[in-house]
Amino acid sequence: MRFKLNSRLISAAVVGLILAFVINKSWGSASFFDSKNISTFLVVGVALGGIYAITAGGLVVTYATTGIFNFAHAAIGCFLAFFYWQVTVQWHVPTLLGIFITLGIVAPLIGIGLDRLIMRRLRDAALVVQLMVTVGLMLTFMGVTLTVWSPKTGRTLDHFYQQSKGIEIGSVVATWHRIITVIIALVVAVALRWLLYRTRLGISMRAVVDSRSLAGLTGAKPSIISGASWALGCMTAGLAGILIAPETGLVVENLALIIIVAAAAAAIAQLKSIPMAFAGGLIIGLATSFSTTFLSFGTDWNYAGEAIPSVILFIALLFLPQARLETGKVRLTKRTERLTKPWEAGLGGVVLIVIVGAWANGWIPWFTGTTFGERSAVWLGRGAGFLVFGLIMLSLVPLIGWAGQVSFANFAIAGIGAVLFSHFGGQNGDPIGIVLVMLVCAPLGLAIALPALRLKGLYLALATMAFAEFTDKVIIRHPSMLDPSNSGVLYKPLKILGFSISTDTMDRKAFVMFLIITFASLFFMLEMLRRSRWARRWIAMSDSPAASATIGVNLTTTKMVVFMLSGAMAGFAGCMLGLQTGALRVDSFPMFVGLPIVLLLAAQGVRYPIAAFMGAIGLASFPAISELFGNPTWLTQLALVGPGIAAIVMAYRPEGGVFYAGRDLAGLLPWRQDAREEKVLLEAKIRAENIGKDEINDLGLTRPFTAEKVSQLDRILDVTDALDEHPTTPRKVMS
Amino acid sequence: MTPILETKDVVVRFGVLQAVSRASIEVIEGRVTGLIGPNGAGKTTCFNVITGLQEPTSGKVLFEGQDITNKNPYKRARLGIARTFQKLEVFGSLSARENILVAAEQRKTWDRSGFSPAAVCNEILEKTGLSDVSEFMVGTLPTGTARLVELARALASNPRVLLLDEPSSGLNEEETADMAALLRTFVAEGLAVLLVEHDMSFVMGTCEYIHVLDFGTIIASGTPPEVQANSAVQAAYLGTETVEEAS
Repeated sequence: MRFKLNSRLISAAVVGLILAFVINKSWGSASFFDSKNISTFLVVGVALGGIYAITAGGLVVTYATTGIFNFAHAAIGCFLAFFYWQVTVQWHVPTLLGIFITLGIVAPLIGIGLDRLIMRRLRDAALVVQLMVTVGLMLTFMGVTLTVWSPKTGRTLDHFYQQSKGIEIGSVVATWHRIITVIIALVVAVALRWLLYRTRLGISMRAVVDSRSLAGLTGAKPSIISGASWALGCMTAGLAGILIAPETGLVVENLALIIIVAAAAAAIAQLKSIPMAFAGGLIIGLATSFSTTFLSFGTDWNYAGEAIPSVILFIALLFLPQARLETGKVRLTKRTERLTKPWEAGLGGVVLIVIVGAWANGWIPWFTGTTFGERSAVWLGRGAGFLVFGLIMLSLVPLIGWAGQVSFANFAIAGIGAVLFSHFGGQNGDPIGIVLVMLVCAPLGLAIALPALRLKGLYLALATMAFAEFTDKVIIRHPSMLDPSNSGVLYKPLKILGFSISTDTMDRKAFVMFLIITFASLFFMLEMLRRSRWARRWIAMSDSPAASATIGVNLTTTKMVVFMLSGAMAGFAGCMLGLQTGALRVDSFPMFVGLPIVLLLAAQGVRYPIAAFMGAIGLASFPAISELFGNPTWLTQLALVGPGIAAIVMAYRPEGGVFYAGRDLAGLLPWRQDAREEKVLLEAKIRAENIGKDEINDLGLTRPFTAEKVSQLDRILDVTDALDEHPTTPRKVMS
Repeated sequence: MTPILETKDVVVRFGVLQAVSRASIEVIEGRVTGLIGPNGAGKTTCFNVITGLQEPTSGKVLFEGQDITNKNPYKRARLGIARTFQKLEVFGSLSARENILVAAEQRKTWDRSGFSPAAVCNEILEKTGLSDVSEFMVGTLPTGTARLVELARALASNPRVLLLDEPSSGLNEEETADMAALLRTFVAEGLAVLLVEHDMSFVMGTCEYIHVLDFGTIIASGTPPEVQANSAVQAAYLGTETVEEAS
């Protein structure tokens, strides 16, 4: 006990010292003792904090009552803010009515709809599925918003009472908008508190948090509770969106990124305490305002201020109590699966090389047309790009698929890898550089995970997303990483064993062939790894951490190994990304670009290495589909919405496309007698489950069942003993 | 005989609720020790304290006289403590063989006796009668079989003390008898077993020594006849009818 206290104190001291150093180092020209500066800092900070508090409070209420962390929270708020703009600015509906329509009608409808269609199915789903579906929703809401309200036209939302001046506080004017914001935040805080502690619905909601099954026994209706909870979540998200849009501008990325803020505040609240979520929101608002008022990070760290929420999230994770090893949470999926034999994996790799090779050489007749999948320089270039993304997906298979550690950071790691490769040998086409990059990226992958290793899986997902954002805003934009003034080509063609692999943008054939051969080799390697003791241990750890620990598995080191492997693979993919793009830009690695990679892999089945190839095909299919329709405007966001919807489908088909395809198609392979038998059994089972359904429909059987109809059905179904088996119900029917 | 495993005055408090209060349990090699008591008496909590999944509020856990109260669960496993769980904790997406293999391979990290994990795995599959289902994913197996997989997995780490949490639940009469026979063969080889069980005939038939927990407190310890004769036990839990039926 004493040791734990000490370790926390030490962490606090270290964090305090680093903060003091950063603040001291980057102190701007503003004096802290100037009352005007202090007032600005507080007025802006409290107003911003109020908005963050509202959105974080809503997120925590939803998580606490439904057990689902909604990554789409801020994206829904963003959609509602745009909707509000449409209603009040475009359609000239009065402000209050517009607010009522947006928050009182549309927001609850979205919430209830999500609950009905998607969220209820996720309640008992695996964490991976829950995360993928809500991240998918985030991309979908972003994509839909971008489609409906094209980002090419600028839009602004006025502050409330923009014309009047506001109140002067210590020589700083607090605009009415900000005053209203603070008042609304206070009202929302009081209202949530009242709702949860003073109303029947709220008390049921809290009861659900404690024990879902027990709450059900007391007569609380779970469906009403979860519906109300999602409606409430969407309303707070929309409210925050409307309040913040005048400050940040109606820009989809900015508004959707507030999820990082909400996640950081939720982490401070340990995902359960609503007052702490409000406090967390306020802290982030104040910290942001403090940095804009007093600090100046200089040109090298230009965007550091935007990374403040990510940093606060990381700090919050350091102080969270260690998660207990819980028992009784094992989910037994009734899934059958068979280990791939080495020769099958080898054959699979060869097939991949043959297919892609035939495509790249123009031997597949349908894909050599002029538009769809044309074997042009453009499509070969795209093909190389998708194969690189496929390599990133491969790096996620052991991490997410086997060890169950959901990470959104691998695209960022690949980005760092790509940049490093331009310093470490990529500029000369030296393959040793790739090894060096992998050696750096392995511990990097570990370092990102370190603060979340001892916590439950959701925190890891939050931490990795925050890291992806931090990488984009701080690491890659630093001039010593990527010089923004250098727009030239950073890489030379790779020289291996005397061969030079051309990356000429006009003819990517050689490079595509090189990529598919590497891809197939890594695919084979992973299939072999799956048969090894390491993969077994990772899967065991993911299935039951408690049981793994009690057979002697050191969970920490086991996780560390898989993070390093995944980091190294992502670093390798990064080198390929560098070679593929040739010239990197500082804005090549936004957090949102990495998400579709994870989602499409998951939608294909994150346990299976082949899903990485199918995922890459999925990525390629979006521009192909768009081309097929002649690139209409309503499909411009397909690359965002497509992966989003693919992930949402996981709520219905959680195992991923490869699994279902394998179950249906494996029997076609001549040597897979087992798959054919399996399929016959499955079909028999489905028939047994549906027995009588068609007949009942044919007879037009409805309540009350007449004796005549029942005996008719018995005759059709050839049932004679039904009465003996269920002596009570049918007898009632007969009378 | 000195106990290989003992708990000394273990207390576990969850908020105001005292789940276990000053429980002292002894487990001796070559013997099946029973831990019985009504639902919520704190039996599983005791198991969690012994295996390190639950930190006790106070008290000690000793293994061969050595204090292991603050050791990580995996380090205790390496000393030779293995367990099964009341609610299944199998590795559902691995095959039955892989479930056992994971444990056997893990044992390689501390056991330098040069055994082959694959051979150990086959031997245990044979002994537990799981050979026929060894290639099936455990998630698709019936509960009774999955429970056997859990036992086999625990055995694969070659434990010196085996903690079984309701091994017979989900098993039919025949399977329960098989399980009891299996336990006896391992105990005869010197294994120490601590058993939580509701099936009284199973307990009375296999255990040589029994601790009775009620509301977190040990209210009686002794041989099955002694425990059955104990009036506190009868009052708290067993009831006269059950005792007659069991004996």
